[in-house]
Amino acid sequence: MDILTQLVINGIIAGAIYTLIALGFNLIYGATKFFNIAHGVFAAIGGYTVFFFFKLSGVSLVPSILAGVLLAGIAGMLSDRLIFLPLRRKRGSSVIMLVASLGLFTALQSVIAIMFSNRFQTLTDIFNIQKTYQIFSGVITQIHIVIIITVISLTIGLFLMLNRTKFGKAVKAISDDEEVARIIGIDTDRVIGYVFFIGSAIAGLGGILIGFDTGIMPTMGMGLLLKGVIASIVGGVGNIYGSVCGGLLLGFVENFGVWKISGEWKDAIAFGLLIIFLLFRPQGVLGK
Amino acid sequence: MKIEIRNLTKRFDGVTAVNNLSLTLEGGRITGIVGPNGSGKTTLVNLLSGFLPIDGGTVIIDDTITVKKIQPHKIKSYGITRTFQDIRLFEQMSVLDNILVVLTERNLWCALFECHRPEHMQKAEEVLRMIDLWDKRDEPASNLSYGQRKLLEIGRAVSMEARVYLFDEPFAGLFPGMAEIVESILRQLRSQGCAVVLIEHDMDLIRGLTDYVFVLDSGVLLAEGRPHEVLQDRKVVEAYIGN
Repeated sequence: MDILTQLVINGIIAGAIYTLIALGFNLIYGATKFFNIAHGVFAAIGGYTVFFFFKLSGVSLVPSILAGVLLAGIAGMLSDRLIFLPLRRKRGSSVIMLVASLGLFTALQSVIAIMFSNRFQTLTDIFNIQKTYQIFSGVITQIHIVIIITVISLTIGLFLMLNRTKFGKAVKAISDDEEVARIIGIDTDRVIGYVFFIGSAIAGLGGILIGFDTGIMPTMGMGLLLKGVIASIVGGVGNIYGSVCGGLLLGFVENFGVWKISGEWKDAIAFGLLIIFLLFRPQGVLGK
Repeated sequence: MKIEIRNLTKRFDGVTAVNNLSLTLEGGRITGIVGPNGSGKTTLVNLLSGFLPIDGGTVIIDDTITVKKIQPHKIKSYGITRTFQDIRLFEQMSVLDNILVVLTERNLWCALFECHRPEHMQKAEEVLRMIDLWDKRDEPASNLSYGQRKLLEIGRAVSMEARVYLFDEPFAGLFPGMAEIVESILRQLRSQGCAVVLIEHDMDLIRGLTDYVFVLDSGVLLAEGRPHEVLQDRKVVEAYIGN
Protein backbone atom coordinates (compact mmCIF):
# COMPACT_ATOMS: atom_id res chain seq x y z
CA MET A 1 0.00 0.00 0.00
CA ASP A 2 1.40 3.37 -1.08
CA ILE A 3 1.21 5.79 1.84
CA LEU A 4 0.74 8.84 -0.40
CA THR A 5 -2.28 7.34 -2.15
CA GLN A 6 -3.75 6.36 1.20
CA LEU A 7 -3.21 9.87 2.55
CA VAL A 8 -5.07 11.31 -0.45
CA ILE A 9 -7.94 8.86 0.11
CA ASN A 10 -8.01 9.66 3.84
CA GLY A 11 -7.98 13.37 3.02
CA ILE A 12 -10.97 12.97 0.71
CA ILE A 13 -12.87 10.90 3.31
CA ALA A 14 -12.19 13.41 6.12
CA GLY A 15 -12.99 16.28 3.75
CA ALA A 16 -16.30 14.66 2.80
CA ILE A 17 -17.27 14.27 6.47
CA TYR A 18 -16.40 17.90 7.28
CA THR A 19 -18.22 19.06 4.14
CA LEU A 20 -21.31 17.18 5.27
CA ILE A 21 -21.48 19.27 8.45
CA ALA A 22 -20.31 22.51 6.83
CA LEU A 23 -22.96 22.36 4.05
CA GLY A 24 -25.92 22.69 6.43
CA PHE A 25 -24.05 25.07 8.71
CA ASN A 26 -23.22 27.42 5.83
CA LEU A 27 -26.74 27.25 4.42
CA ILE A 28 -28.16 28.40 7.78
CA TYR A 29 -25.41 30.97 8.35
CA GLY A 30 -26.01 32.43 4.89
CA ALA A 31 -29.66 33.09 5.69
CA THR A 32 -29.36 34.10 9.35
CA LYS A 33 -25.81 35.47 9.76
CA PHE A 34 -25.17 33.79 13.09
CA PHE A 35 -23.04 30.83 14.16
CA ASN A 36 -25.60 28.16 15.00
CA ILE A 37 -23.74 26.06 17.58
CA ALA A 38 -26.85 23.87 17.95
CA HIS A 39 -26.17 22.60 14.42
CA GLY A 40 -23.85 19.94 15.87
CA VAL A 41 -26.51 18.42 18.09
CA PHE A 42 -28.79 17.81 15.09
CA ALA A 43 -26.14 15.40 13.81
CA ALA A 44 -26.43 13.54 17.12
CA ILE A 45 -30.24 13.57 16.86
CA GLY A 46 -30.01 11.93 13.42
CA GLY A 47 -27.62 9.27 14.68
CA TYR A 48 -29.60 8.47 17.84
CA THR A 49 -32.93 8.33 15.96
CA VAL A 50 -31.51 5.59 13.74
CA PHE A 51 -30.05 3.93 16.83
CA PHE A 52 -33.47 3.99 18.51
CA PHE A 53 -35.54 2.79 15.54
CA PHE A 54 -33.14 0.44 13.82
CA LYS A 55 -31.13 -1.04 16.65
CA LEU A 56 -33.48 -0.85 19.62
CA SER A 57 -36.94 -1.10 18.00
CA GLY A 58 -36.18 -3.34 15.03
CA VAL A 59 -37.54 -0.98 12.36
CA SER A 60 -35.92 -1.60 8.99
CA LEU A 61 -32.98 0.49 7.84
CA VAL A 62 -34.43 2.85 5.21
CA PRO A 63 -37.42 4.06 7.32
CA SER A 64 -35.03 4.50 10.28
CA ILE A 65 -32.67 6.64 8.22
CA LEU A 66 -35.60 8.65 6.84
CA ALA A 67 -36.89 9.15 10.39
CA GLY A 68 -33.44 10.29 11.52
CA VAL A 69 -33.11 12.83 8.72
CA LEU A 70 -36.69 14.04 9.19
CA LEU A 71 -36.44 14.34 12.98
CA ALA A 72 -33.16 16.27 12.76
CA GLY A 73 -34.80 18.60 10.20
CA ILE A 74 -37.91 19.09 12.32
CA ALA A 75 -35.78 19.71 15.43
CA GLY A 76 -33.85 22.36 13.49
CA MET A 77 -37.02 23.98 12.20
CA LEU A 78 -38.54 23.99 15.69
CA SER A 79 -35.39 25.54 17.13
CA ASP A 80 -35.89 28.40 14.69
CA ARG A 81 -39.60 28.79 15.37
CA LEU A 82 -39.29 28.64 19.17
CA ILE A 83 -35.96 30.33 19.83
CA PHE A 84 -34.23 32.02 16.92
CA LEU A 85 -37.26 33.58 15.20
CA PRO A 86 -38.46 35.33 18.40
CA LEU A 87 -34.88 36.55 18.96
CA ARG A 88 -34.69 37.85 15.36
CA ARG A 89 -38.00 39.66 15.86
CA LYS A 90 -36.56 41.31 18.97
CA ARG A 91 -33.56 42.26 16.82
CA GLY A 92 -31.26 40.09 18.96
CA SER A 93 -27.61 40.47 17.98
CA SER A 94 -25.66 37.59 16.46
CA VAL A 95 -23.86 37.18 19.82
CA ILE A 96 -27.20 36.67 21.59
CA MET A 97 -28.23 34.15 18.92
CA LEU A 98 -24.91 32.33 19.31
CA VAL A 99 -25.30 32.11 23.09
CA ALA A 100 -28.90 30.89 22.69
CA SER A 101 -27.74 28.23 20.23
CA LEU A 102 -25.03 27.14 22.68
CA GLY A 103 -27.70 26.81 25.37
CA LEU A 104 -29.89 24.77 23.03
CA PHE A 105 -26.94 22.58 22.08
CA THR A 106 -26.15 21.82 25.73
CA ALA A 107 -29.79 21.17 26.62
CA LEU A 108 -30.43 18.80 23.70
CA GLN A 109 -27.12 17.01 24.24
CA SER A 110 -28.11 16.44 27.88
CA VAL A 111 -31.54 15.11 26.84
CA ILE A 112 -29.87 12.62 24.47
CA ALA A 113 -27.48 11.54 27.26
CA ILE A 114 -30.38 11.10 29.71
CA MET A 115 -32.33 9.02 27.18
CA PHE A 116 -29.50 6.86 25.83
CA SER A 117 -26.67 7.22 28.41
CA ASN A 118 -23.27 8.77 27.76
CA ARG A 119 -21.83 5.52 26.49
CA PHE A 120 -20.39 5.10 23.05
CA GLN A 121 -22.75 3.11 20.82
CA THR A 122 -22.32 1.47 17.47
CA LEU A 123 -25.16 1.87 15.02
CA THR A 124 -24.98 -1.36 13.09
CA ASP A 125 -22.67 -3.39 10.95
CA ILE A 126 -25.03 -3.12 7.98
CA PHE A 127 -22.23 -1.33 6.17
CA ASN A 128 -19.45 -3.85 6.51
CA ILE A 129 -16.57 -1.62 7.50
CA GLN A 130 -14.22 -4.54 7.13
CA LYS A 131 -15.09 -4.71 3.46
CA THR A 132 -12.57 -2.62 1.60
CA TYR A 133 -12.04 -1.62 -1.99
CA GLN A 134 -8.70 -1.09 -3.65
CA ILE A 135 -8.15 2.27 -5.36
CA PHE A 136 -4.73 2.39 -6.99
CA SER A 137 -2.53 1.37 -4.09
CA GLY A 138 -4.86 2.63 -1.35
CA VAL A 139 -7.95 1.17 0.30
CA ILE A 140 -11.38 2.59 1.12
CA THR A 141 -14.29 1.11 3.07
CA GLN A 142 -17.88 0.74 1.89
CA ILE A 143 -19.29 3.37 4.28
CA HIS A 144 -16.65 5.86 3.18
CA ILE A 145 -17.75 5.41 -0.42
CA VAL A 146 -21.36 5.99 0.70
CA ILE A 147 -20.29 9.17 2.53
CA ILE A 148 -18.40 10.53 -0.49
CA ILE A 149 -21.30 9.76 -2.87
CA THR A 150 -23.74 11.39 -0.41
CA VAL A 151 -21.64 14.55 -0.17
CA ILE A 152 -21.32 14.82 -3.97
CA SER A 153 -25.09 14.30 -4.38
CA LEU A 154 -25.94 16.82 -1.65
CA THR A 155 -23.60 19.45 -3.09
CA ILE A 156 -25.10 19.04 -6.56
CA GLY A 157 -28.60 19.06 -5.05
CA LEU A 158 -27.94 22.25 -3.09
CA PHE A 159 -26.35 23.89 -6.14
CA LEU A 160 -29.45 23.10 -8.20
CA MET A 161 -31.76 24.21 -5.39
CA LEU A 162 -30.01 27.55 -4.94
CA ASN A 163 -29.62 28.33 -8.63
CA ARG A 164 -32.52 26.66 -10.39
CA THR A 165 -35.44 27.03 -8.01
CA LYS A 166 -37.45 30.02 -6.90
CA PHE A 167 -36.94 28.88 -3.32
CA GLY A 168 -33.18 29.00 -3.85
CA LYS A 169 -33.42 32.52 -5.24
CA ALA A 170 -35.42 33.52 -2.17
CA VAL A 171 -32.70 32.03 0.05
CA LYS A 172 -30.06 34.01 -1.87
CA ALA A 173 -32.14 37.18 -1.62
CA ILE A 174 -32.46 36.71 2.17
CA SER A 175 -28.77 35.96 2.42
CA ASP A 176 -28.01 39.26 0.64
CA ASP A 177 -30.54 41.46 2.40
CA GLU A 178 -33.34 40.04 4.51
CA GLU A 179 -35.19 43.35 4.83
CA VAL A 180 -35.25 43.99 1.10
CA ALA A 181 -36.28 40.38 0.50
CA ARG A 182 -39.32 41.11 2.67
CA ILE A 183 -40.43 44.17 0.76
CA ILE A 184 -40.39 42.31 -2.52
CA GLY A 185 -42.90 39.92 -0.96
CA ILE A 186 -40.77 37.03 0.31
CA ASP A 187 -42.05 35.60 3.59
CA THR A 188 -38.55 35.49 5.05
CA ASP A 189 -39.57 33.86 8.34
CA ARG A 190 -41.07 30.93 6.49
CA VAL A 191 -38.13 30.58 4.08
CA ILE A 192 -35.62 30.70 6.96
CA GLY A 193 -37.69 28.01 8.73
CA TYR A 194 -37.30 25.77 5.65
CA VAL A 195 -33.58 26.58 5.52
CA PHE A 196 -33.26 25.41 9.12
CA PHE A 197 -35.12 22.22 8.18
CA ILE A 198 -32.87 21.48 5.20
CA GLY A 199 -29.62 22.44 6.97
CA SER A 200 -30.45 20.43 10.10
CA ALA A 201 -31.65 17.43 8.05
CA ILE A 202 -28.27 17.43 6.27
CA ALA A 203 -26.55 17.52 9.68
CA GLY A 204 -28.81 14.63 10.76
CA LEU A 205 -27.79 12.63 7.69
CA GLY A 206 -24.18 13.43 8.53
CA GLY A 207 -24.65 12.12 12.07
CA ILE A 208 -26.21 8.91 10.73
CA LEU A 209 -23.42 8.23 8.24
CA ILE A 210 -20.71 9.05 10.77
CA GLY A 211 -22.57 6.78 13.21
CA PHE A 212 -22.32 3.92 10.72
CA ASP A 213 -18.63 4.69 10.30
CA THR A 214 -17.31 5.33 13.80
CA GLY A 215 -20.32 5.08 16.16
CA ILE A 216 -22.28 7.62 18.14
CA MET A 217 -22.05 9.47 21.46
CA PRO A 218 -24.25 12.28 22.82
CA THR A 219 -21.19 14.57 22.73
CA MET A 220 -20.36 13.77 19.09
CA GLY A 221 -21.96 17.03 17.93
CA MET A 222 -19.36 19.45 19.27
CA GLY A 223 -16.39 17.77 17.62
CA LEU A 224 -18.23 17.58 14.30
CA LEU A 225 -19.45 21.15 14.61
CA LEU A 226 -15.96 22.51 15.29
CA LYS A 227 -14.53 20.80 12.22
CA GLY A 228 -17.55 21.91 10.17
CA VAL A 229 -17.08 25.51 11.34
CA ILE A 230 -13.35 25.40 10.51
CA ALA A 231 -14.22 24.05 7.05
CA SER A 232 -16.79 26.84 6.63
CA ILE A 233 -14.38 29.60 7.64
CA VAL A 234 -11.53 28.19 5.57
CA GLY A 235 -13.76 27.80 2.49
CA GLY A 236 -15.77 31.00 2.96
CA VAL A 237 -18.42 31.28 5.64
CA GLY A 238 -21.97 31.34 4.27
CA ASN A 239 -20.78 29.98 0.91
CA ILE A 240 -22.10 26.52 -0.02
CA TYR A 241 -19.22 25.88 -2.42
CA GLY A 242 -16.85 27.11 0.27
CA SER A 243 -18.06 24.19 2.41
CA VAL A 244 -16.71 21.71 -0.12
CA CYS A 245 -13.50 23.64 -0.68
CA GLY A 246 -12.90 24.19 3.05
CA GLY A 247 -13.88 20.63 3.98
CA LEU A 248 -11.48 19.09 1.46
CA LEU A 249 -8.66 21.51 2.29
CA LEU A 250 -9.07 20.78 6.01
CA GLY A 251 -9.21 17.02 5.36
CA PHE A 252 -6.04 17.10 3.27
CA VAL A 253 -4.08 19.42 5.58
CA GLU A 254 -5.02 17.31 8.62
CA ASN A 255 -4.05 14.02 6.98
CA PHE A 256 -0.88 15.18 5.27
CA GLY A 257 0.04 17.10 8.45
CA VAL A 258 0.26 13.88 10.45
CA TRP A 259 2.16 12.00 7.76
CA LYS A 260 5.42 12.01 9.70
CA ILE A 261 4.13 12.81 13.19
CA SER A 262 1.60 11.42 15.67
CA GLY A 263 -2.08 11.42 14.69
CA GLU A 264 -2.86 13.26 17.92
CA TRP A 265 -1.65 16.43 16.20
CA LYS A 266 -4.66 16.37 13.87
CA ASP A 267 -6.79 18.78 15.91
CA ALA A 268 -3.86 21.10 16.56
CA ILE A 269 -3.20 21.21 12.81
CA ALA A 270 -6.89 21.88 12.07
CA PHE A 271 -7.05 24.80 14.50
CA GLY A 272 -3.67 26.05 13.31
CA LEU A 273 -5.13 26.21 9.81
CA LEU A 274 -8.13 28.11 11.21
CA ILE A 275 -5.87 30.67 12.92
CA ILE A 276 -3.80 31.14 9.75
CA PHE A 277 -6.96 31.84 7.75
CA LEU A 278 -8.40 34.17 10.40
CA LEU A 279 -5.15 36.14 10.40
CA PHE A 280 -4.39 36.27 6.69
CA ARG A 281 -7.56 35.46 4.75
CA PRO A 282 -10.58 35.83 7.05
CA GLN A 283 -12.98 35.74 4.10
CA GLY A 284 -11.84 32.16 3.31
CA VAL A 285 -10.72 30.70 -0.01
CA LEU A 286 -13.88 31.53 -1.94
CA GLY A 287 -15.16 34.49 0.09
CA LYS A 288 -18.84 35.03 0.82
CA MET B 1 -54.81 55.00 -5.20
CA LYS B 2 -54.65 56.91 -1.96
CA ILE B 3 -52.79 56.51 1.31
CA GLU B 4 -54.04 58.44 4.31
CA ILE B 5 -51.70 58.78 7.24
CA ARG B 6 -53.46 59.71 10.48
CA ASN B 7 -51.65 60.83 13.63
CA LEU B 8 -48.59 58.71 12.85
CA THR B 9 -46.06 58.69 15.68
CA LYS B 10 -42.62 57.14 16.11
CA ARG B 11 -40.32 57.56 19.10
CA PHE B 12 -36.69 56.54 19.57
CA ASP B 13 -35.52 56.51 23.19
CA GLY B 14 -37.52 59.57 24.15
CA VAL B 15 -36.92 61.43 20.87
CA THR B 16 -40.08 61.76 18.78
CA ALA B 17 -38.94 61.31 15.18
CA VAL B 18 -42.46 61.47 13.70
CA ASN B 19 -44.94 63.36 15.82
CA ASN B 20 -48.67 62.95 15.29
CA LEU B 21 -48.25 63.33 11.53
CA SER B 22 -51.29 63.36 9.24
CA LEU B 23 -51.07 63.62 5.47
CA THR B 24 -52.51 62.08 2.32
CA LEU B 25 -50.59 60.63 -0.61
CA GLU B 26 -52.71 60.77 -3.77
CA GLY B 27 -52.42 58.64 -6.88
CA GLY B 28 -51.52 60.31 -10.18
CA ARG B 29 -49.16 62.80 -8.62
CA ILE B 30 -45.57 63.08 -7.53
CA THR B 31 -45.47 64.13 -3.89
CA GLY B 32 -42.28 65.65 -2.60
CA ILE B 33 -41.31 65.22 1.04
CA VAL B 34 -38.68 67.70 2.08
CA GLY B 35 -37.16 68.92 5.30
CA PRO B 36 -33.82 69.37 7.00
CA ASN B 37 -31.76 66.36 8.11
CA GLY B 38 -33.45 64.59 11.01
CA SER B 39 -36.86 65.97 10.13
CA GLY B 40 -38.38 62.47 9.88
CA LYS B 41 -38.56 61.94 6.09
CA THR B 42 -36.79 58.57 5.96
CA THR B 43 -38.45 57.51 9.23
CA LEU B 44 -41.81 58.14 7.54
CA VAL B 45 -40.83 55.91 4.59
CA ASN B 46 -39.53 53.27 7.01
CA LEU B 47 -42.86 53.32 8.87
CA LEU B 48 -44.89 53.05 5.65
CA SER B 49 -42.80 50.12 4.44
CA GLY B 50 -42.85 48.27 7.76
CA PHE B 51 -39.13 48.68 8.41
CA LEU B 52 -39.96 50.34 11.71
CA PRO B 53 -42.90 49.48 13.94
CA ILE B 54 -45.51 52.22 14.29
CA ASP B 55 -45.87 53.58 17.85
CA GLY B 56 -49.17 55.37 17.24
CA GLY B 57 -51.62 56.31 14.52
CA THR B 58 -53.04 54.53 11.50
CA VAL B 59 -52.44 54.17 7.79
CA ILE B 60 -55.53 53.88 5.58
CA ILE B 61 -54.99 52.40 2.14
CA ASP B 62 -57.58 53.23 -0.55
CA ASP B 63 -60.22 54.08 2.08
CA THR B 64 -60.62 50.35 2.74
CA ILE B 65 -57.62 48.84 4.54
CA THR B 66 -56.77 50.35 7.92
CA VAL B 67 -53.48 49.22 9.38
CA LYS B 68 -51.79 49.99 12.67
CA LYS B 69 -48.98 47.52 12.18
CA ILE B 70 -47.26 47.12 8.80
CA GLN B 71 -45.18 44.02 8.13
CA PRO B 72 -42.53 44.40 5.41
CA HIS B 73 -43.52 41.25 3.51
CA LYS B 74 -47.14 42.46 3.40
CA ILE B 75 -46.44 45.83 1.73
CA LYS B 76 -46.34 44.19 -1.68
CA SER B 77 -49.92 43.06 -1.18
CA TYR B 78 -50.87 46.65 -0.24
CA GLY B 79 -49.34 47.79 -3.54
CA ILE B 80 -46.46 49.65 -1.86
CA THR B 81 -42.78 49.47 -2.73
CA ARG B 82 -39.71 51.54 -1.93
CA THR B 83 -36.06 52.26 -2.67
CA PHE B 84 -33.32 53.16 -0.21
CA GLN B 85 -31.02 56.08 0.40
CA ASP B 86 -28.14 53.56 0.53
CA ILE B 87 -28.55 51.22 -2.43
CA ARG B 88 -29.65 47.72 -1.45
CA LEU B 89 -29.44 45.08 -4.17
CA PHE B 90 -29.21 41.30 -4.19
CA GLU B 91 -25.47 41.25 -4.76
CA GLN B 92 -25.12 37.49 -5.34
CA MET B 93 -27.58 37.63 -8.23
CA SER B 94 -27.17 38.78 -11.80
CA VAL B 95 -28.74 42.05 -12.95
CA LEU B 96 -31.52 40.08 -14.68
CA ASP B 97 -32.22 37.95 -11.61
CA ASN B 98 -32.53 41.09 -9.47
CA ILE B 99 -35.57 41.92 -11.61
CA LEU B 100 -36.89 38.39 -12.14
CA VAL B 101 -36.86 37.63 -8.40
CA VAL B 102 -39.78 40.03 -7.90
CA LEU B 103 -41.76 38.92 -10.95
CA THR B 104 -42.38 35.19 -10.64
CA GLU B 105 -45.34 33.89 -8.65
CA ARG B 106 -44.53 32.25 -5.36
CA ASN B 107 -46.70 29.15 -5.53
CA LEU B 108 -45.39 25.69 -4.66
CA TRP B 109 -44.65 24.68 -8.26
CA CYS B 110 -42.64 27.83 -8.91
CA ALA B 111 -40.82 27.39 -5.61
CA LEU B 112 -39.61 23.99 -6.76
CA PHE B 113 -38.99 24.78 -10.39
CA GLU B 114 -37.97 28.22 -11.48
CA CYS B 115 -40.54 28.99 -14.13
CA HIS B 116 -40.31 32.35 -15.80
CA ARG B 117 -43.18 32.72 -18.20
CA PRO B 118 -42.59 34.72 -21.41
CA GLU B 119 -44.35 37.74 -19.88
CA HIS B 120 -41.89 37.74 -16.96
CA MET B 121 -38.92 37.76 -19.32
CA GLN B 122 -40.64 40.38 -21.45
CA LYS B 123 -41.28 42.61 -18.44
CA ALA B 124 -37.70 42.16 -17.20
CA GLU B 125 -36.35 43.10 -20.63
CA GLU B 126 -38.64 46.12 -20.80
CA VAL B 127 -37.49 47.36 -17.38
CA LEU B 128 -33.80 46.69 -18.03
CA ARG B 129 -33.97 48.50 -21.39
CA MET B 130 -35.73 51.41 -19.68
CA ILE B 131 -32.84 51.77 -17.21
CA ASP B 132 -30.26 51.04 -19.91
CA LEU B 133 -28.94 47.86 -18.27
CA TRP B 134 -30.15 45.20 -20.72
CA ASP B 135 -26.62 44.72 -22.08
CA LYS B 136 -25.40 44.02 -18.55
CA ARG B 137 -28.18 41.57 -17.68
CA ASP B 138 -25.86 38.62 -17.06
CA GLU B 139 -23.33 40.48 -14.95
CA PRO B 140 -23.40 40.16 -11.17
CA ALA B 141 -25.13 43.16 -9.59
CA SER B 142 -21.99 43.75 -7.51
CA ASN B 143 -20.05 44.60 -10.71
CA LEU B 144 -22.18 47.65 -11.55
CA SER B 145 -21.14 51.25 -11.02
CA TYR B 146 -22.84 53.36 -8.34
CA GLY B 147 -25.24 54.99 -10.78
CA GLN B 148 -26.11 51.68 -12.47
CA ARG B 149 -26.76 50.12 -9.08
CA LYS B 150 -29.09 52.98 -8.20
CA LEU B 151 -30.92 52.51 -11.51
CA LEU B 152 -31.20 48.76 -10.95
CA GLU B 153 -32.75 49.34 -7.53
CA ILE B 154 -35.28 51.71 -9.10
CA GLY B 155 -35.87 49.17 -11.90
CA ARG B 156 -36.54 46.46 -9.31
CA ALA B 157 -39.12 48.71 -7.63
CA VAL B 158 -40.77 49.51 -10.98
CA SER B 159 -40.99 45.83 -11.95
CA MET B 160 -43.07 45.19 -8.82
CA GLU B 161 -45.90 47.08 -10.55
CA ALA B 162 -46.92 48.71 -7.29
CA ARG B 163 -49.39 51.54 -6.89
CA VAL B 164 -47.40 53.52 -4.33
CA TYR B 165 -43.70 54.16 -4.87
CA LEU B 166 -41.56 55.54 -2.06
CA PHE B 167 -38.30 56.86 -3.53
CA ASP B 168 -35.69 57.89 -0.96
CA GLU B 169 -33.27 60.28 -2.69
CA PRO B 170 -33.23 58.46 -6.03
CA PHE B 171 -31.23 61.20 -7.78
CA ALA B 172 -28.35 61.34 -5.28
CA GLY B 173 -25.00 60.77 -6.99
CA LEU B 174 -26.40 60.23 -10.49
CA PHE B 175 -24.88 61.64 -13.69
CA PRO B 176 -27.24 63.89 -15.69
CA GLY B 177 -28.07 61.15 -18.22
CA MET B 178 -29.04 58.72 -15.48
CA ALA B 179 -31.01 61.41 -13.62
CA GLU B 180 -33.02 61.96 -16.83
CA ILE B 181 -33.90 58.24 -16.89
CA VAL B 182 -35.11 58.40 -13.28
CA GLU B 183 -37.08 61.57 -14.01
CA SER B 184 -38.84 59.94 -16.95
CA ILE B 185 -39.62 56.85 -14.84
CA LEU B 186 -41.21 59.02 -12.15
CA ARG B 187 -43.30 60.91 -14.73
CA GLN B 188 -44.37 57.63 -16.33
CA LEU B 189 -45.49 56.20 -12.98
CA ARG B 190 -47.49 59.38 -12.34
CA SER B 191 -49.16 59.10 -15.73
CA GLN B 192 -50.14 55.53 -14.85
CA GLY B 193 -52.01 56.84 -11.80
CA CYS B 194 -49.50 55.69 -9.19
CA ALA B 195 -48.78 57.65 -6.03
CA VAL B 196 -45.11 58.60 -6.28
CA VAL B 197 -43.36 59.86 -3.15
CA LEU B 198 -40.04 61.59 -3.63
CA ILE B 199 -37.69 62.42 -0.76
CA GLU B 200 -35.24 64.91 -2.18
CA HIS B 201 -32.87 67.67 -1.07
CA ASP B 202 -32.48 69.28 -4.51
CA MET B 203 -35.09 72.06 -4.54
CA ASP B 204 -34.84 72.54 -8.32
CA LEU B 205 -35.91 68.93 -8.78
CA ILE B 206 -38.73 69.39 -6.29
CA ARG B 207 -39.95 72.48 -8.13
CA GLY B 208 -39.66 70.89 -11.55
CA LEU B 209 -40.97 67.44 -10.83
CA THR B 210 -43.41 67.36 -7.96
CA ASP B 211 -47.09 68.27 -7.95
CA TYR B 212 -47.46 68.63 -4.22
CA VAL B 213 -45.00 69.02 -1.34
CA PHE B 214 -45.03 68.23 2.36
CA VAL B 215 -42.40 69.95 4.47
CA LEU B 216 -41.40 68.19 7.68
CA ASP B 217 -39.46 69.64 10.56
CA SER B 218 -38.63 67.69 13.72
CA GLY B 219 -41.22 65.08 12.83
CA VAL B 220 -44.13 67.47 12.41
CA LEU B 221 -45.78 68.81 9.30
CA LEU B 222 -44.54 72.36 8.79
CA ALA B 223 -46.25 73.17 5.49
CA GLU B 224 -47.94 71.59 2.49
CA GLY B 225 -49.11 72.68 -0.93
CA ARG B 226 -47.89 73.38 -4.47
CA PRO B 227 -44.09 73.39 -4.58
CA HIS B 228 -43.71 76.99 -5.88
CA GLU B 229 -45.88 78.34 -3.08
CA VAL B 230 -44.61 76.12 -0.27
CA LEU B 231 -40.94 76.63 -0.99
CA GLN B 232 -41.42 80.41 -0.68
CA ASP B 233 -43.23 80.08 2.63
CA ARG B 234 -41.34 82.05 5.25
CA LYS B 235 -41.55 79.22 7.83
CA VAL B 236 -40.11 76.76 5.31
CA VAL B 237 -37.30 79.09 4.30
CA GLU B 238 -36.38 79.59 7.94
CA ALA B 239 -36.57 75.91 8.87
CA TYR B 240 -35.11 74.35 5.78
CA ILE B 241 -33.48 76.56 3.24
CA GLY B 242 -32.05 78.77 5.91
CA ASN B 243 -30.48 75.71 7.51
